[in-house]
Amino acid sequence: MSRLLAVLLTFHMLGTGGSARADVAFAPVSLPVAHEYSGGWTHFVGGGVAVFDCDGDARPDLFAAGGSAPALLLRNTSDEGAVSFETAAFPEIVETTGAYPFDVDGDDLLDLVVLRAGENLLLRGDGTCQFTPAPAAWNFDGGTEWTTAFSATFEAGQDWPTFVFGNYVDETDPDGPFEACDVNHLMRPAGRAFGPRQPLEPGFCALSMLISDWKRDGRPELRISNDRQYYVSNGREQMFALDPLREYTEADGWPTMKLWGMGIASRDITGDGLPEVALTSMGDQPLMLNRGQGVMEPAPYDMGTYATTPYMGDDGRPSTGWQAQWGDVDNDGRDDLFIAKGNVDQMPSNAMADPNNLLMQQTDGRFVERGDTAGVGSVARARGAALVDFDGDGLLDLVVNNRRAPLEVWQNVTEGAGHWLAVDLRQPGPNTRAIGAFIEVRSGDRLQTREITSGGGHASGTLGPEHFGLGAAEQAELRVIWPDGQTGDWQRVAADASVRITRTGGEP
Amino acid sequence: MKKTILFASVAIATLATSVAAEDLKVCVSWSNFREERWKTDEAAIKGALDAANAEYISADAQTSATKQLADIEGMITQGCNSLIILAQDSASIGPALDAAEDAGIPVVGYDRMIDDPRAYYLTFDNVEVGRMQAREVLKAQPKGRYVMIKGSPVDPNADFLRGGQQEVLQAAIDAGDIEIVGESYTDDWQPANAQKNMEQILTQTNNGVDAVVASNDGTAGGVVAALTAQGMEGIPVSGQDGDMAALNRVALGTQTVSVWKDSRALGKAAGEIAVALASGTAMADVEGAGTFTSPSGKTLTATLLAPQPITKDNLNLVLEAGWISKEALCAGVSGVAVCE
Repeated sequence: MSRLLAVLLTFHMLGTGGSARADVAFAPVSLPVAHEYSGGWTHFVGGGVAVFDCDGDARPDLFAAGGSAPALLLRNTSDEGAVSFETAAFPEIVETTGAYPFDVDGDDLLDLVVLRAGENLLLRGDGTCQFTPAPAAWNFDGGTEWTTAFSATFEAGQDWPTFVFGNYVDETDPDGPFEACDVNHLMRPAGRAFGPRQPLEPGFCALSMLISDWKRDGRPELRISNDRQYYVSNGREQMFALDPLREYTEADGWPTMKLWGMGIASRDITGDGLPEVALTSMGDQPLMLNRGQGVMEPAPYDMGTYATTPYMGDDGRPSTGWQAQWGDVDNDGRDDLFIAKGNVDQMPSNAMADPNNLLMQQTDGRFVERGDTAGVGSVARARGAALVDFDGDGLLDLVVNNRRAPLEVWQNVTEGAGHWLAVDLRQPGPNTRAIGAFIEVRSGDRLQTREITSGGGHASGTLGPEHFGLGAAEQAELRVIWPDGQTGDWQRVAADASVRITRTGGEP
Repeated sequence: MKKTILFASVAIATLATSVAAEDLKVCVSWSNFREERWKTDEAAIKGALDAANAEYISADAQTSATKQLADIEGMITQGCNSLIILAQDSASIGPALDAAEDAGIPVVGYDRMIDDPRAYYLTFDNVEVGRMQAREVLKAQPKGRYVMIKGSPVDPNADFLRGGQQEVLQAAIDAGDIEIVGESYTDDWQPANAQKNMEQILTQTNNGVDAVVASNDGTAGGVVAALTAQGMEGIPVSGQDGDMAALNRVALGTQTVSVWKDSRALGKAAGEIAVALASGTAMADVEGAGTFTSPSGKTLTATLLAPQPITKDNLNLVLEAGWISKEALCAGVSGVAVCE
């Protein structure tokens, strides 16, 4: 079980392969239920999805937060080329804001961290999509706060994960909601269980968090994106060193940036191995280019990623971004960017009919809007989302959870897309899913680098095979840099396949 | 942070001191020119620049704070002698001021405060707006139970207004003539929120309210709707902005005052100040320059224009200025001189 296990799906795309000429296209998928993310003010934000295979059939299943309505679990019943779902039994849980899949106890079965306006829940998965509350011995403390962000990692030498929870407004503050941001919390291991929650301060109304080794120095750090709507003026985008826990300041070279921060999406799009971050906000949706040495700078305006106002309709007001999600939707070897958009509720300063963006990366590195022609420019109040291959055909499909409008799933039906590769990592527990690893895929002169993380997005987490577009390349080389830094050998793999890389024992 | 990268191409050091006015270029960076109101301001700026034979160059950031930085960088390379900036986001305009400083170009922060002493601040005096609102309501209702309907809690102007109101009311409060029986911020300045808050206050006080100091015409509209539902319309209510519906309410007698900020005056002043600065006049030496202490404690050189309270007695001002049509002003109105 130590070797590369390449499962060839023998499915090859038609067409010339890798053509930038493919017109990306999505078709709506009918769902067995009309699910909405609903509720009052505590559900103006949140509305996440979690996408993960909960029954081991290699078809990712789908959790959708429901706000004041019960959360939904959909089991993936897709055949290759035909995306479909059925409702699955799930505990009745209300006041959910989002969720993240994670293998907490190292049994290689995915558990689910459910964020709520109120006590967060940790559900243990059994490998058949049945979920039960985590054993008391895990010592999970769900708190009582209005939780809207999450990230997790395994810290060096630990055999239990570290969780970080981001909380929004402190509803118990009589002087709130403005300038009444709650503190965030960090839960570190105590043996094979969680220790007590530690406050992570100051809190500035976090709506997304991501632990990432963005400097590639082996020391992952915590980025927190915060909502200026409620911290008002005395807040900022934050970066914390984890060990010892410390917030960076301008004195450390961390510049002050203020956003209506809603989501984080990390991906190396410049090919230098350093992850960029797309951040969502109101108006400009900033893309921060990673220049190395801990320097991030805003992308030039003409790169085409700012998506400031709606591209359809006549509403010139700024739009409101939530989930940002990278993915190569036409498999041309260049990552594209999806941004879920929608008004907070009835905020008159911002666009009311606010279509989602699908920004397609061009050969020159610029991005061009295709949300309208691709068919995903829904003007529902979109929140959480995921780009995942639901049916195993090598094309990334899309799910979007909407506030006060039905959940939407689209099947990617792009014709003439390029070649692809899906890579799934496993290693012995506790960190079975290799959170913190980097996958490198080399084809021609192109190098794609992918960090395995847990967190980010807008209250939405995806855990499963990593999808790579390969363009015209019919094979690629890949290697894995495991979370402890040990680097595997380059291995040649055929395109258009899902590959599982399983590491033998030997993790320190 | 990264101004050296963003503006690396800027290497112009303009020495404006000896430039004649007719050679001047004044560059204006608009935040979002799709908003109708700025067309009036633009015409007034152009008028002032024409009068000085200065050239007008403009760019529209289309609500993008990032495009605004790129716009300003581009205009600086076109040889601006001064910049007028209507900031999309004053929290992220800093690199534009760095670039202007590097190029030796003075900056006027137009209407929205740029909290940086390198920018000259031009706006209407919002504290004075608040004073005028309270003064007119107090005149109409010298004694009784008052409600304060404030603006958005995240807009510093809301507190400037409230401060001015308090200055005027303080003596009457101290004397026991008036009592504030309800006070509320209005999320996003939305009329519907103002109406909801006013309804709650009326319920809490058993309709025991004699006057309402509302901070703008939108919130005044919500207040008047709440009062009308209780048959209480006609008690003194203040506002600001010279909104069409509000001026009609003033004519109808359901609103006491709308403090009017004539954007033509603001645009004209911006053009004149930009020309003066471009010609080498120091900020402090601009005619009428004063100082303004920002909420963060910075001292800005500033011109704060005096607004104009519009009441039933001077509705002719907005009519004669062409600000509103007689039809809009006088709909449903009888017994008011300008409407006859």
